[in-house]
Amino acid sequence: MTLDQTPQSKPIIQVRNVRRSFRSPKKEEGLKGTLKLLVKPEVQEHEALKGVSFDIEAGSFIGLIGANGAGKTTLLKILSGLIPPTSGEAVVLGQDPFKRSMNFRHSIALVMGQKAQLWWDLPAVDAFELLKAIYDIPEDTYRERLNTLAELLDVKRLLNTQIRRLSLGERMKMELIGALIHWPKVIFLDEPTIGLDVLAAHKLREFLREFNRREKATIILTSHNMDDIERLCSRVLIIKQGQLIFDGEPKKLKQSDECQLRVRLVETPSIEELTPLLGLSPTAIAFTGADSDSPTKADDEDTEARSIRMSLRRNQITSTLQSLMSKYTLVDMAIEEQSLEKVIQRLYESES
Amino acid sequence: MNLNLKWRWAALKNGFQDATAYRLEFLFEVLGSALVPAAIQWVLWYAMFKVGGATEVAGMTYADLLQYTWISLMFTQIRGGDHDFELQEMIRSGGLSTYLLRPCGVVEFVWLRGVAPKLFIAGVGLVVGMIIGTAYGLSPVHLAVGMIFAVLGNIIHYQLSASLASVAFWWEEGYSLLMVKNMLVSLLSGELLPLTLFPKNWQWVWENTPFYLFVFAPVQIAQGKWSASQITSHLGIACFWLVIGWSLIRMSWGLGIRRYQSLGG
Amino acid sequence: MKTKESYPSLARYWRVFLVQVKNNFVREAVYRTNFLTMMIVDLIWLGIEYTLFAIIYANTPTLAGWTQPQVFFFLGVFFSSDALFTTLFQRNFWNFSDLVNKGDLDILLTKPVHPLFLALTRWMNLTAVFNLFLGLGILIRYADEAGFAGGSRWFLVPLWLLIGVLAALLLRFAFSIWIFWTDRSWALSRLYYQFFAFATKPDSLYPKVIRYTILTALPFGFIGSVPARALLRGISFSECVGITAVLATFALINGVLWKKGLRRYQSASS
Repeated sequence: MTLDQTPQSKPIIQVRNVRRSFRSPKKEEGLKGTLKLLVKPEVQEHEALKGVSFDIEAGSFIGLIGANGAGKTTLLKILSGLIPPTSGEAVVLGQDPFKRSMNFRHSIALVMGQKAQLWWDLPAVDAFELLKAIYDIPEDTYRERLNTLAELLDVKRLLNTQIRRLSLGERMKMELIGALIHWPKVIFLDEPTIGLDVLAAHKLREFLREFNRREKATIILTSHNMDDIERLCSRVLIIKQGQLIFDGEPKKLKQSDECQLRVRLVETPSIEELTPLLGLSPTAIAFTGADSDSPTKADDEDTEARSIRMSLRRNQITSTLQSLMSKYTLVDMAIEEQSLEKVIQRLYESES
Repeated sequence: MNLNLKWRWAALKNGFQDATAYRLEFLFEVLGSALVPAAIQWVLWYAMFKVGGATEVAGMTYADLLQYTWISLMFTQIRGGDHDFELQEMIRSGGLSTYLLRPCGVVEFVWLRGVAPKLFIAGVGLVVGMIIGTAYGLSPVHLAVGMIFAVLGNIIHYQLSASLASVAFWWEEGYSLLMVKNMLVSLLSGELLPLTLFPKNWQWVWENTPFYLFVFAPVQIAQGKWSASQITSHLGIACFWLVIGWSLIRMSWGLGIRRYQSLGG
Repeated sequence: MKTKESYPSLARYWRVFLVQVKNNFVREAVYRTNFLTMMIVDLIWLGIEYTLFAIIYANTPTLAGWTQPQVFFFLGVFFSSDALFTTLFQRNFWNFSDLVNKGDLDILLTKPVHPLFLALTRWMNLTAVFNLFLGLGILIRYADEAGFAGGSRWFLVPLWLLIGVLAALLLRFAFSIWIFWTDRSWALSRLYYQFFAFATKPDSLYPKVIRYTILTALPFGFIGSVPARALLRGISFSECVGITAVLATFALINGVLWKKGLRRYQSASS
């Protein structure tokens, strides 16, 4: 069963109430513990996913976000067939991923930003040769694809360099070529921009967007980098403690009536004075320097230049300003759109 | 002085705990590394005498050879040669840097860590050896003197290893040198067979290396084959090798560390 | 996608294998000294085994019916078989624990060929081919004196060497697979090398209990000693059946352990 045979309307990935608990054996030390483990294992259960459901259309670019340990990687592993769900159903390309049928393996790619699949001691092109043999790609197709990918990523001149001599960004590009050389229909990317500098991450993003647009490949990406999500994904899934808490366009997240009020006062009060006055939680208030975003300490000499940022709802603006002006003298104020990062941070923090 | 004893004691303790943290594995390892070579020796004697029908080989009977094998078990455990790999790994990987900052000699530190479980085994082995040995007419004093030789052998062995390991300062392949050394030790220390079995014109090979002091000499002493004056003269040879080993370490590590630091280790 | 077959063809495995050989060759060309010294270490090891027997034969004319040239013939067979194993597989087992502990298995599982095939052909030590030639040289040098019939029997040499490598592979695997259950599986690897000492002597030397063990439960005798004996003195049909049965049983047990280990890996992973 391949995508071509699937009716256009049917989603390429269907996830129905997927749960995953994993058992980690409680192991005692030493060989004795190991022997005991073989005979009578004692296990602890953890729930990594607590019933997640969603559909993904072919050709879409999906962002999967969540705090560490929220269950993102677990979900990717289930979708790429590495582990089975404990209950519920996942269907990828019309089949059960965990069966890992041969044509399923030919149709997917998994890239883990922290794990390299390419040999360090070899030039990238030699490592791709191996993948060519593994995926049984005909010579001319292989040449053509390698050419396209290397051009898109701008690494043609580096193909014959030993991978260990490449920079982190270049290495990641090679990893991507390695992952895509068999032209997968579904691509799972786990933190592809981790550790990369701003420029390298930007280039990688450009490439992913281009590949998704040109080849109509479905891409699912996890990242801690909100830039990745905001610029690439048409849809975001947010996972928190094993549950899906948001599913929609990244714009929608920001459209909620969250906003940011920035004020400067003649005398900057302490956070202990502000919280009771405004009725806001301490995490919603931040002190920043005048020009830079770097938070400065309360004992900073340049007190007058510091501004206060408050995250709040639009309908709270008037009342907050009134309370502030009742006690302090306002120098300057502005209302700004909330950054995606802040919105998501608040989502993580809200009612656990 | 007091302080100096402190880190040495800590190193010993740490080495012992490290080796015995997994007790069952420790036991397996000790038994495995003792019994397998012994079994192989026994097999050879068995094949020569019981299957082959020999009665005496190089002046030794089947019983003599078996006794040699069982006594050598006790001393083979002490001879060392495993922890020296740690030294060359440290140099190669740059882990040495953290040790150089500490107020203790790294060469000695690694030795203390490695020797700790060996001293424990030596103690237990000696007690067990004395209990069983008296039943077979071995003198406890001889056994104890043999063990002293074995411990001296451990020190000499480590000194040579540490000097060899310092090759890692200049050359990536210090590891192979240590492997080769260990193979030579297994043949020339007498743990595989009594060195008296060497053909007459080969005897000089082991007589001129320090390796026979590790296993062969202790067994000879334990079996009461050496007179007091012979023991004294071999003790002299051991001291000679100790001095050589000590100066080799001073030289190789002095030069090596200077190079290490000049390269910005 | 053109490839619609449910299992990858043997031809594909062969091509993957060839690329792995080529890639290893490229890598070794870069790190020449490393492998040269490895080779020298092996040579000295052979020298020590050789000397050991030379010393023993200086004291006795035969050992359990084996003359000195016969034992050297055995050493040639054993060393060739071991060199072949070193060339193709040994290093993969050094890195075996990374499969589980570093999660390297994850990527392998998504590839359309058997993950074990990829794991066991990744690292080779092609320089050790020279050791194979040396082993064969010794084998040929002593063949006549040892009473090897020669002629068409020479064709049996590669066959028996492959059986030796297969036995070593199955044994080494059985000692490594425990990585799924214990993170201290190096203790078992050490045990493998200790038992391996039994492979360095002809099995006829051993007393019954040991001999029986290294021909059945822990078939270290298959690595060199059974092949050498079969080449020199021939082998009975029932012994052939026995060898096949032992190897098949080992392969089966390894297969079951792999499946169980994989399941455990998949249930413990989050």
